[in-house]
Amino acid sequence: MTWNTSGRLARIFLVVFTVAVLIYLIMPTFVIVPMSFSSKSYLSFPPPGWSLQWYQTMMERHDYPQAFWNSIKIGVPVALLSTTLGTLAALGVVRGRFFGSRPMSAVVIAPLMLPQIILAIGLYPIMAKFGLAGSYPGVVIGHTVICIPLVFITVAASLKNYHPAYEYAAMTLGANWWQTFWHVTFPMIRVGVIVGGILAFTFSFDELIIALFLTSPETRTLPRLLWEDLRQYVTPIIASATTLVLCISFILFGAVALLQRHLSKATRS
Amino acid sequence: MQGTTGRIWSPARGYFVILSLPVLFLLVFFVWPMAGVVLRSFEGGEGIFSQYLTVFERSSYIKVLLYTLQVATTVTVLCLLIAYPVAALVARLQGKWLQIAFALILVPFWTSTVIRTYAWMVLFQRKGVINGMLIDMGLIAEPLRFMHNNIGVHIGMVHIMLPFMLLPLISAFRNIDPSYMRAAGVLGANPIRAFWHVYLPLSMPGVSAGVALVFITSLGFFITPALLGGAHNMMVAVLIEQQVTITVNWELASALASVLLLVTAALYIVYDWVSRRAGGGGVLD
Repeated sequence: MTWNTSGRLARIFLVVFTVAVLIYLIMPTFVIVPMSFSSKSYLSFPPPGWSLQWYQTMMERHDYPQAFWNSIKIGVPVALLSTTLGTLAALGVVRGRFFGSRPMSAVVIAPLMLPQIILAIGLYPIMAKFGLAGSYPGVVIGHTVICIPLVFITVAASLKNYHPAYEYAAMTLGANWWQTFWHVTFPMIRVGVIVGGILAFTFSFDELIIALFLTSPETRTLPRLLWEDLRQYVTPIIASATTLVLCISFILFGAVALLQRHLSKATRS
Repeated sequence: MQGTTGRIWSPARGYFVILSLPVLFLLVFFVWPMAGVVLRSFEGGEGIFSQYLTVFERSSYIKVLLYTLQVATTVTVLCLLIAYPVAALVARLQGKWLQIAFALILVPFWTSTVIRTYAWMVLFQRKGVINGMLIDMGLIAEPLRFMHNNIGVHIGMVHIMLPFMLLPLISAFRNIDPSYMRAAGVLGANPIRAFWHVYLPLSMPGVSAGVALVFITSLGFFITPALLGGAHNMMVAVLIEQQVTITVNWELASALASVLLLVTAALYIVYDWVSRRAGGGGVLD
């Protein structure tokens, strides 16, 4: 065999392998969607018949709607808080090149790298001491700690995209800190800030371990309820709730994809 | 901070003030809880190291730690072997196909780990999709057991970690100038030699970033091993949760968490140092 034919064979094999791997990445999640429309109470694929009964049952139970709203009530403040703190951290570390800014950036990123179970068992006694265990502020703080790095990374990337001379120019021309931020810095990093905020919301919306320790049955989030149900039985109600979560995640994913395309067009022109 | 205050003004000082708010927040709600875990690991029992003696003397705990290392290693190797050829192909795509491939890699990123693990539970059932397909194809006569053993944990974890390996690899591959490979070919190297001496060394920054990310994250994995794993082989995060919620032994849980913290933080620092020396800029840049 010459290098040419074996090269062609290798290329065909590579394409087939890649397609197989991409299917492996995508397929399992979408198997759930048809199951949520099943007419039977057991999970089989393809479903024996179609119905919306599991969505109806889910809505009639009080715990699923409650957990869904809890996830929103926790996710939105997490997004706002971590966007504010993460943007401040990125500004400080990227623009302020002073002694100690590097170790500080290590501290800011660390919550994302270290296992969440450690933070969860560390935060619980502190929240209990403040009377915040099981409350909304408790879990919002817990999620914010991990979401600050997410915002930090996206905003720091936007800040590195342009030269700080723009800000110095504005300040030299007499703009104060707030005017400089609002009229020069923020328009430049806006997409990074919004993407960071959406990432933070998505993280909070999907997070389990912190929620397991810091929420109560009244404040528990959708992932925690799914987790508790999963350990008991596997019914199509879970598939319905999952499909709902998938829809929300993909709307947010689409929003970020559009924003980033908008950004890459803006930087090209 | 403005020029009107009359002090000598420097932007660095202003940014220092800006930075103090998030740093204060993280000191109270991140550094303090972590320090609390480490401190609590020295409490309870006789002598300050009694929890650690328990962890490293009881064979069942050592087994958990070794199993955790073994799973993280296997998952990392599997991810690298699967992701390397896929990333090499995806990195050469252009336009629409590149966007489609990227979307397919990013979608799982946006899907909750609980949901993806649930999907595997559905697929892995005795009468689930996978067993049904294998029986229909005549490959097996009896349904296989995928759950509550090693197979399920590995398939599920590789599925979740694969995008973390693919993305750094793709970005490294896209930085390799294709003319280098052509040059190697013109100079007489066969494709295998060219790959070994040109492509592979140039892809190393992506490999090390992906390996570090996957290995460090795998060590602390909780959801997938808790739902798909068996009672006999438990990963350390699952054991920590059980020690707190079932046994209510906070001191022992803290000692286990401190061991995990030490290992993860050490790997993180070593990786950052190595990648900085390699000139690629650390994780933090």
